[in-house]
Amino acid sequence: MKRLHRGWLLLCALLAPASAIADMTVDGVLACMRANIPKSVQIKEVELTAKDRTGGMRQLRGRLYAVREEERLRAMIKIAAPADLSGAAYLLREKEGGDEMYVYVPALQKVRRITGTGVDGALWGTDFSYGDLRQIHNAFSAGQTALDGQGELAGRTIHILSLQPAGSEQSRFTRIKVWVDQKTCVNLRAEFFEGASVRKRLDADPASLRQSGPHWYAGEMQMLDLKEGTQTRLRVLGVSSDVDLSGRYFNPSTFYLGG
Amino acid sequence: MQRLVSWLASHPLGIIVLTALLSVAAGIALIDLPGPSLRVQIDPSIERLLPPQDDDRALFDRVRAQFGETDPVLLAVRFDNVYTAENIERIDRLTRRLGELDGVRQVISIANVQNPVADDAGIDISTFAAQVRANPDAVSRFAAQIAENPIYRDALVSADGTVAAFALTLQGIDENRFRSENYTERIRTLAREITGAQTVWITGSPVIKAATTDAILHTLKFTIPAIFVLVAVLLFFAYRSVRAVLLAGLTIALSMLWTLAAAAVLEIPVNLVTALVPPLVATLCLSYTVHMLAEFFASERGEQDRARFERVLRRMGVSLLLSGATTVAGFLALIPGSLPAIAQFAGLSSLGVGFSVLLTLVFLPAVLIYAGPQRPLRPLGEAMFARKARRLAMFDLRWRNWIIAIALLSLPIDLYYASRIRVGTEYIKNFDAEATVRRDFEAINAAFGGANLVSIVIDTHVDDALTDPARVREIEALQDWLRRQPEVGAAVSYVDHLKLINRNLNDGDPAYYRIPDDATAIKQLLVFGGSDEIRRVIDSRFRTALIAVRIKADDSIGITEFVNRTEARLRQMPPPLNGRVTGSPVLATRTVNAIASGQLTSLLVASVAIWAMLALMFTSARSALVAMLPNVLPVALYYGTLGLLDITLNPTTSLIACVVLGIAVDDTIHFLARFNADARARASEKAAVKSALAAVLRPVTFTMVALGLGFLVFTGSELQNQVQFGVLAAFTILMAWIADITLTPALGSKLRIVTLWDILRLDLGQSPQHTIPLFSGLSLRQARVFALMSRLETHLSGTRVIRQGDYARDIYVVIDGTLEVSIERGGERKILTTLHRGAVMGEAGYFGQRRTANVDAVTPVRVLRFDSEDLERLRRRYPRIAAIVYRNLNRIQAERLARATAMLQ
Repeated sequence: MKRLHRGWLLLCALLAPASAIADMTVDGVLACMRANIPKSVQIKEVELTAKDRTGGMRQLRGRLYAVREEERLRAMIKIAAPADLSGAAYLLREKEGGDEMYVYVPALQKVRRITGTGVDGALWGTDFSYGDLRQIHNAFSAGQTALDGQGELAGRTIHILSLQPAGSEQSRFTRIKVWVDQKTCVNLRAEFFEGASVRKRLDADPASLRQSGPHWYAGEMQMLDLKEGTQTRLRVLGVSSDVDLSGRYFNPSTFYLGG
Repeated sequence: MQRLVSWLASHPLGIIVLTALLSVAAGIALIDLPGPSLRVQIDPSIERLLPPQDDDRALFDRVRAQFGETDPVLLAVRFDNVYTAENIERIDRLTRRLGELDGVRQVISIANVQNPVADDAGIDISTFAAQVRANPDAVSRFAAQIAENPIYRDALVSADGTVAAFALTLQGIDENRFRSENYTERIRTLAREITGAQTVWITGSPVIKAATTDAILHTLKFTIPAIFVLVAVLLFFAYRSVRAVLLAGLTIALSMLWTLAAAAVLEIPVNLVTALVPPLVATLCLSYTVHMLAEFFASERGEQDRARFERVLRRMGVSLLLSGATTVAGFLALIPGSLPAIAQFAGLSSLGVGFSVLLTLVFLPAVLIYAGPQRPLRPLGEAMFARKARRLAMFDLRWRNWIIAIALLSLPIDLYYASRIRVGTEYIKNFDAEATVRRDFEAINAAFGGANLVSIVIDTHVDDALTDPARVREIEALQDWLRRQPEVGAAVSYVDHLKLINRNLNDGDPAYYRIPDDATAIKQLLVFGGSDEIRRVIDSRFRTALIAVRIKADDSIGITEFVNRTEARLRQMPPPLNGRVTGSPVLATRTVNAIASGQLTSLLVASVAIWAMLALMFTSARSALVAMLPNVLPVALYYGTLGLLDITLNPTTSLIACVVLGIAVDDTIHFLARFNADARARASEKAAVKSALAAVLRPVTFTMVALGLGFLVFTGSELQNQVQFGVLAAFTILMAWIADITLTPALGSKLRIVTLWDILRLDLGQSPQHTIPLFSGLSLRQARVFALMSRLETHLSGTRVIRQGDYARDIYVVIDGTLEVSIERGGERKILTTLHRGAVMGEAGYFGQRRTANVDAVTPVRVLRFDSEDLERLRRRYPRIAAIVYRNLNRIQAERLARATAMLQ
């Protein structure tokens, strides 16, 4: 269940600085990408549209708030639609001994703390999982990264990185290949390998690249689960970075209250 | 036709070259180079025997598309105790390694599923393996935790805690790749290497299909050479000529090559039913070659090659074509309303029979002329069979009425037992009890309370309908009902997930292990609390759900009973809940039932088709009906035996009746045709029965032995249904043989038949209906029928045909030649007149007077001779022809009287 509550990190990972990557070494690319995460971010509308194998669609919309405190992330997402799911909220607090997650289910009117190192799983029945994004994030810091070269994707010059998760990561993916836009440092594509085959593919629409302050983000992206044959489209609107956010959004006792 | 026969007889080399070219083309069509590999696909799946547009199959495909593969590979590994930290670690390692196998989409085991543990402090949703790593003592609670979790209970670990299960879902691997890359053994080896366990079982639909493919290939590899050995032995025994054996074997091999090439070109796969075709074609072709060799070597002294070839074609052409046609009729009768696999079997077998007849009739004599033994071969046992035939004929004639009565009486008895036949087949028990695939299945079936997976799909067609508490309770009640069924080992649905989520989000309080009371809460729990696995049992819009049911039943009868009961229960659900049962075992069972339900139709069609052919051949519907009895009897005996021995009607046993009916009728035709000819020639039915039996007993017996042994070759198959097919088909062929050498002569002696080929073959000269006054007003066919009801006699020049003063009641019609009518008066011979074609003579004798004059043949003549009995038979059988003949006879008499009167005046 824990993984179901961490989708907001995906959105954070989309943010990148405006400066182009001057250093063509692995460290240079990584440094550029690490420096991308803003101190805080507020997204007025996050929209996830999941399409199953038979074409059945389900849509979720909500707001997301995230801050970086002492290099640890705090993030909260609150579901706004559909109406029967409205009010559900999630809070993630990254901590030394393991992440803390809190979920508020309005029908139960309870906040529950979720722990454990569960396997990667779908986020609310979509094709995104916190684990996928966390793996990219952790691979940059703890795993082995190699620069496979440069190339072009959708008319944009990119770096191609190979990320090898660290042994300590309980990951189902053996390798992640990332296409990083040289101009914005936004990931335009990521492929998640299980053994020799690609299990998932994340594609960001270059036409949806937007800038919020010094940060770039992709306004639309799509995750394909190539084995399951499902896909989820993610859209973000109204991104504001480096804004002052109230502490109540990240307090386990109050995160679900208010608008 | 005559021209074609002559042309063929004069071009044996051309036939051989053409056959060789066609065979090369067939080889190219069949064999894929480089490789080499066969282009024919092996399809071991029973459910794909159903047509693609079949509603059940469409549902099955839709469920797989929506909820993922429902036929995982099930691996089970036995430990001393699964619930130790070391063994959980081993299971975890094996789970990961299995997941890395190419084509494995997902592996589920106790190591990688979440074990939610909820208390006041929150919910820990780590996997079992992670919990053990964090705290090795946690393993002591696993047995209890699994026992109270309906999703995991009897699914991940056996009830006694010694066997761990792994469910491997495949993707991108079809049956052929699974088999060719030997996934079964790779998985087994990996499991042994990583866990160190000696006892590893593996089953599931892909494993069983791979084993079935192996068995089919093994059967083909065994049966085809075995039939060739049989061919060699039988032919050598009969003809004692290596060349004859080799050339007959070559003919059979080419028939099979052409048949398999046709399968490749027509994209007909080798499946559980069509796998019977190659050996069946070889067996049938063997019986044709036996007849052909008998005719070929019955050569006349000094006969030239061309004359020999022409004689063989003339004598064997019609009978082989008719044999082939009746056999094909039997096969084609299986097609109407049947499943594609049965239609493919029927079509391919028919093609095979066609190729066999063609090659036997044309290629075999051609190649025998060039490469066959030159010395005349006297068939073995001819004298012995002649003696036995005479005794048998005496027996048949003496006990004629008894034989017919016993046959007729046995029919209702057979029908009584036939009414007790059950439709059904065994699946895993189709394999030998010692086969690994069967042992593994049965071990997993026993350890986990069922290894067959059935899905119940609940469709509502309304978004979020399945979050309504009342409907969720309906599904819960259905699930409870399912769990109470004796066949069911486990039943899991989203309701189980929902109740577990509810309990875990309420601090693990058992009181919350229930369905929430409002739809919003249900939806929120399912969306925000559900794991990946919930997508396997409910769709994202909450309108379609799946109940995964594990059942112990593994035979179609047991599965049918369960499905029928479940469907009746599903119909009790209120709208919009619509439930249907699907899954590989269900589809396979429906396939079996569909095949068997078409049985009566197929049999009726075959019977009618063969009756129609006989009626055409015998030019009499009644005679054809009587001739059917010896063929219906073995079929009735076959069904009676099935009912008596409680042998089920299944996809292979249901083929036997039509196949045997099509084959057995050949012998009836051979006997009746010969009997008819002899009866006309000898004017004695008893003598005709003896001579006809003497003529046909040997080839008919030889054919029965060849076919029977050919069918018995199937007993070497690894699949029990093919063994059953072989034994039962051989038994039925034996019954057909007994009927043909007893019942057919008994019935035949009461029949007067005129065969179509008699009519076609009879030479009455140019337009007899116009040139012979007695035939005036008749059609050519009617004239020939009359001629066949009479006797066609040939007299040499100078022969006295009618002697003055004799008492005789025959009338003669001159067909060709010249005769002189004369009287002896005062020691002098006075010629009264000369008779030519069309003249009628001897009518005075017919009306009871002595012959009034002599009639001598001046040239070689042919005359038709008939008497009042012949005319009476004609009147009964062909009243229209008789009426015209009587009219013509009267006219001829009247004209003669008028001429005589004129002469007197």
